Amino acid sequence: MTALAFIIIVGPLAGTIAAAVGAPGRIAGWAGASGACVTLGAAIWLLVGQLHRAPVRGLGGFLYLDSLSCFFLLTVALVTALAAVGSVGYLSAEEAAGQLTGFQVRLYFIFFGIFAALMLASLETGNLGLLFVLIEASTLASAALVGLEGKASSLEAAWKYVIISSLGVTIALAGTLFLFYSASALHLAPNLRLTWPYLFAHAHALAPGSLRLAFLLAVVGYGTKVGLAPMHTWLPDAHAEAPSPASAMLSAALLNTGMYAIIRFLAITKVGVGADFPRTVLLVFGFLSVVIGVLFMVRRGNFKRLFAYSSVEHMGIIAVALGFGGVLGLYGALLHTLNHAIAKAVLFLSSGDVSLRYRTREALGVRGLLAVVPLTGGALMLGSFAVLGSPPFGLFLSELTIVRAGFAAASPVLPLLLLLLLAVAFIAFARTTTGMATGEPEPALAAGPGKAGPYPGRAARLTAIAPAAVGLAALLVLGLWIPAGLSAAITHSIGVL
Amino acid sequence: MQSLSATSMAGILLDLSGVLILLLAFACLGSKLFNRYVAYYGAQSIVLSFAAAVAAYAFASPELWILAVATLAIKGIAIPVAARRLLIRRLDLKRDAALSTGLSTSLIVGGGLTAFAYLVTRPQLLPHGVVAAAVVPLSTAVILLGALAMVVRRHTVAQLIGWLIVENGVFLGAITLVATFPFIVEAGIFLDIVAGVLIMLVFVSGLTRQLASASAPELRELHG
Repeated sequence: MTALAFIIIVGPLAGTIAAAVGAPGRIAGWAGASGACVTLGAAIWLLVGQLHRAPVRGLGGFLYLDSLSCFFLLTVALVTALAAVGSVGYLSAEEAAGQLTGFQVRLYFIFFGIFAALMLASLETGNLGLLFVLIEASTLASAALVGLEGKASSLEAAWKYVIISSLGVTIALAGTLFLFYSASALHLAPNLRLTWPYLFAHAHALAPGSLRLAFLLAVVGYGTKVGLAPMHTWLPDAHAEAPSPASAMLSAALLNTGMYAIIRFLAITKVGVGADFPRTVLLVFGFLSVVIGVLFMVRRGNFKRLFAYSSVEHMGIIAVALGFGGVLGLYGALLHTLNHAIAKAVLFLSSGDVSLRYRTREALGVRGLLAVVPLTGGALMLGSFAVLGSPPFGLFLSELTIVRAGFAAASPVLPLLLLLLLAVAFIAFARTTTGMATGEPEPALAAGPGKAGPYPGRAARLTAIAPAAVGLAALLVLGLWIPAGLSAAITHSIGVL
Repeated sequence: MQSLSATSMAGILLDLSGVLILLLAFACLGSKLFNRYVAYYGAQSIVLSFAAAVAAYAFASPELWILAVATLAIKGIAIPVAARRLLIRRLDLKRDAALSTGLSTSLIVGGGLTAFAYLVTRPQLLPHGVVAAAVVPLSTAVILLGALAMVVRRHTVAQLIGWLIVENGVFLGAITLVATFPFIVEAGIFLDIVAGVLIMLVFVSGLTRQLASASAPELRELHG
């Protein structure tokens, strides 16, 4: 199992190595994509193989894999695979159009692989200090992706992202320190004192005052990475300015990595100080994020910003679900994490195709998508209905579970408020995306630039469409039937909490 | 571990360095010149490396000695020199005009934050067994002051220095935990800071080249 964990991390680095030794962008892209697919296979294998076994421990507590980490590994590996395949087409089209130089394309693949590998590694470690190190490093690697285009606006977004996230993660490190302070009365072996399993096992003996502070700091700190309001301000800029496959990685993988860290702190805090305090914290931040996300979705502008605010909303929903708690709430939160990740990957990847064809990221500049590029237009429409929680897609099921958990756990006011906000989100979001999909396209675009479009070849064109199709199929499956293995993995993860 | 009680020589030295680090954070908050920001940050890092050396001596930990030397070399010397050469001199930065509050206001708020830090993390509230518990409120206060500097200063270089001060505050808190922080983690935190500063240097100089002035109020293109 240790070897498998190693393969998962190393997989995406194939693209990095290929680009670093000087392979042209196309080859580096294919190397990265195949590496990411190997990682995905290994993650599925690990999840299934890990189901009925004790957690994997190794390297003096640095490696720790239980069902929760396996579940998040699967989510991130899936998104990485989709985005890595999508990168091949998007980057080759940008290079062919002269928007990016060959050097920039190679830089992209270098940092893409490092970014993915760091996120996967942060899910595999049991050491809180190392978790900080890896998450902060993944911030830096992804900041390079955000600023890749080198325009003033993308540099500005990258600056905002790196400074806000670094501050946030540093605050999370302060939270980690307070968690250790709270454990200082225990006489654990030094290097075990900072690992999840030991802290969790001794959570009832932790000093409650420091533990409360630690949880609050961790939610604020890692919440900055998750995009919980009011620490979300970097998120729309970074998502809008990054190349589309990188936006998919940010929204669907990075945010979940932060959420994973919060869930770990939550598990310890719940045992240490009781469920009320963490519930209040998560409900406040969660609802605030949903409200802010929905309010900013009303504005019609850059469609990638729209998707980004939708991520803020969904991360809020997951936080609310964690706050509702109970088996239903946690099940809903984890299922929603996976569903949202796939749906957002689909949306950002198809938005990449849109911005390549229309050469704009403004929603009002895009008309008649279904007529110009039926496949992408269809994926965008289906993806947006999926992300808004319409049946028969997976998010309908997970949002239903979360609302049910709310009715079971709290007064009916909170889940009703959540439903109302979801309805507003539906109207705001669908108004923009249906406007993009329908309407009369500009004549020049309607005539079409040829079969391959902006892509230098059929294979590249295929890589731009295929991940969105695969993602939509997965969402449909998850909406109709949750595979037994996955369901068991989620149930096991709840047991871990 | 006993050697770090508040009355021992090492304990007193550690507390003193903590106080000095806090004062230097205040000095940075109260100045307006880019040169001074960097100078105060450098001085703060040197005191920090002294504190790490004291802890290293008290714990007889060779790993902490390495960290003390690395702090001195990287945070105390390399980063200030690089900031001066690559940012302040090349971009010809002198006086920071992009402050959102007056200096006296930010100093008063800083005083309030320090009191707050003490209120929340005073030694009596901490669980027993925390080594050098008096340093904890000091480090919390330094974290808050650094964050305050990032909020009231809108110039990118000033914000970068603010983040570095926050980082120093966390590091000060971490020294009291040496017995539990494995070396790999400390070294990783260090690497992150170095890589972070490098990447921020790239962004700041790129932005400045494109905007002529990288002060945050001019970063208006993205909003909403």
